[in-house]
Amino acid sequence: MKDREKEYDVVILGSGIGGAIMAKTLTQAGKSVLLLEAGLEAGISMDKTDAFGNYMSYLDRFYKAPAKAPNSPYPNLKDAPSIDVLDIQAIEGCNKPSTKGYLVQAGPLPFGSDCLRGPGGTTMHWLGSTPRMLPNDFQMKTRYGQGVDWPITYKDLMPYYEMAELEIGVSGSVAEQKGPDVSKNNYGVGYNFPMKKIPQSYLDANVMGHFNRPVNKVNMNGKEYELMFVSTPQGRNSIPNPDYPFRDITWEPAEEKLKLQTNKYWNSETKKVEKIDAAEKENYVPVGAIWNQNEGHRCEGNASCVPICPVQAKYNALKTLRRADQEKLEIRTQSVASKVLIDEKTKEVSGIEYKRYDNDDLPTFETHVTKGRIYVLAASAIENAKILLASDAANSSDQVGRNLMDHLCLLTWGLLPEKAYPFRGPGSTTNIPTLRDGEFRKEHAACIIPLDNWGWGWPVFSPGSDVASAVSGGMFGKELRDHINGIVTRQLLLHFECEQAPEPSNRVTIDPEYLDPIGNYRPVIHYDASDYMKKAFEASKKVSDQIFADAGVEDHTAYSADLDPDYVEYNGKGYNFWGAGHIVGTHRMGNSKENSVVDSDSKTWDHDNLYLVGCGNMPTLGTSNPTLTMSALAFKTAEAILKRLKK
Amino acid sequence: MKKSKVDDLQIFLEISVYLTGFNKNELLGTGMLDTYYNTVAANSNPEILDFFYVEARRILSCGNEDEINKEIKLNLIPDSAYRGLAKNIITMWYMGNWGGQVINAESYIQGLVWDAAETHPPGAKQPGYGSWSERPIHINCKKHSS
Repeated sequence: MKDREKEYDVVILGSGIGGAIMAKTLTQAGKSVLLLEAGLEAGISMDKTDAFGNYMSYLDRFYKAPAKAPNSPYPNLKDAPSIDVLDIQAIEGCNKPSTKGYLVQAGPLPFGSDCLRGPGGTTMHWLGSTPRMLPNDFQMKTRYGQGVDWPITYKDLMPYYEMAELEIGVSGSVAEQKGPDVSKNNYGVGYNFPMKKIPQSYLDANVMGHFNRPVNKVNMNGKEYELMFVSTPQGRNSIPNPDYPFRDITWEPAEEKLKLQTNKYWNSETKKVEKIDAAEKENYVPVGAIWNQNEGHRCEGNASCVPICPVQAKYNALKTLRRADQEKLEIRTQSVASKVLIDEKTKEVSGIEYKRYDNDDLPTFETHVTKGRIYVLAASAIENAKILLASDAANSSDQVGRNLMDHLCLLTWGLLPEKAYPFRGPGSTTNIPTLRDGEFRKEHAACIIPLDNWGWGWPVFSPGSDVASAVSGGMFGKELRDHINGIVTRQLLLHFECEQAPEPSNRVTIDPEYLDPIGNYRPVIHYDASDYMKKAFEASKKVSDQIFADAGVEDHTAYSADLDPDYVEYNGKGYNFWGAGHIVGTHRMGNSKENSVVDSDSKTWDHDNLYLVGCGNMPTLGTSNPTLTMSALAFKTAEAILKRLKK
Repeated sequence: MKKSKVDDLQIFLEISVYLTGFNKNELLGTGMLDTYYNTVAANSNPEILDFFYVEARRILSCGNEDEINKEIKLNLIPDSAYRGLAKNIITMWYMGNWGGQVINAESYIQGLVWDAAETHPPGAKQPGYGSWSERPIHINCKKHSS
């Protein structure tokens, strides 16, 4: 069925942070946008009562979920299924993929991360850490002979990083950012984040207290490195920083640029850019919950950022979507894109085919085609790749779907000598940047090392598992209560989030044998961990051993294939790794159409009116949580599209 | 002699004090007593449950705390006793679960494990901005009195 409708300026797939930034920026600049969202209508509502009711239903689902996994609060739709970490299982052998969940996991190792298909995308359950990438991360090939260089430098991305930090509402201290390849020079002169740093946890202070020499060192591969602790910038609300000057991001047609504004803003009532009177200028105002602007102005310490912030003090993409010009934006939910249609002659995209379902439990749908001047795929790294493969689009380089990456998290856990009271505050408030960059990247992966505030919850499901084993061992009464108090309050967890290198064989493919209920492809994942990663696991465990010894931590780390199916051996020792939820690299950006899918504006080399947005664009991952960087890239792409639509 | 439900509810509460290590006020403060009592009733063999309450009543009349704990260990905690009911009751109070399922949203929120660990259930009873950078607040009361 062809839609009888006007042609939109831009058609966007996906209402996650990438799609939301595009929709907001383009509509505020006067462009007409159609946004297709695979998830349920209820989740997109900007009506205060409906939005509140729907979000409380998420919270209720979370409370009742026996396993509090990242997607547990959100509906998993038969007609638009989400990847779920609860479906991860070992792969028995080649040609015997695991098909338990939405992904078809061909292995040899299962891919360890999930994401959310639904309004707001994965920002609904993201943790919210927003460190920037390092300048050297953009030049991995030149500096370290690994992977590829980006077609842009850190400096090119700096103005867009600043836009992303305003959009997300980052709390942090620029002055405290340090580490290899990090200094105040990574930020502009006098630059600040919108809000002051999120207070570091009591647990952070306890750990840092064990390292009170003027310089603390760790040894890795025979070389000494300075152990440092840094407060992590993050997308959750804290106290506004009075020195932060910016109030909005606007399109400046005369200069053909998106610009951060100190004294102008886009007025959602008049739908115009208006001046802010200097006398009336107030501090930065934190962005509250979508149902109530006055709720969620501070993180309230729910300690459940993943999977759900009950007060929406943590950023999610619906906050951005709400700021779009709703008169210029049409959203169609329950609309699952299946194909990008290509004009054989011009090679331009001529439409998007999508399937609209009424009831997600039933395999019934109607097929539609919609048209725009420009098309933006922002449906997540795996979905973007899948749709392109299904359409035989943008793939003259044969890179679509390849170079799937994640942070492979080696977790280490132990008991602190004193009570440090985990399971409080945001998931992580401090990180060790020591191994984020260095010559060792020629040999093995770099990593960032967040201190975790939530005990051993991730690897062994504490405190539930502590209760279960104590009770099953016959403990009861005051002895049980004291035991839980003595163990859980001393739990320490470190993650060594190792940067996965791009490898063509780690990839998304499609296979007509594996379809979802409405006939769309399920992604088939081929995945493994190379020696470059395993070497990093070995080095990381040795660094962890030193940190634990110096802090008097009793190591309880125990890796096994039973604990987690992502289990590898290296030099005779076994290691588990866990996915970080950082799904990256499936349609990489590059300098030439021979070896990449998109150019530095995220435009596909093969189709002049097709742009890709999201972490799939990232040629390498660095050691940063990728959302901030992909948001910066989204602003860059929005600018390029606006420039082009002007002509 | 037929016992009334009220008697059993009282026994359930009193034996729960010894099973969980939380005093009566702490247990009543969860607001979950009736729900948990009913959950046990709905998911246990009535005959076995009767035996359990008879035994619990006998144990509670033993007098001092040490004697009661000794009796509980011997007669309620073994998996062979009353089909493991005592352990299920402990898990229910600590985790809000029965048979691996969360009983209801409130039972998750009222799980005693979070109190035992001096924190709050993730996603509920949030202690406020910046609270995590200080020690948990110790309310001035006798912690383990029953």
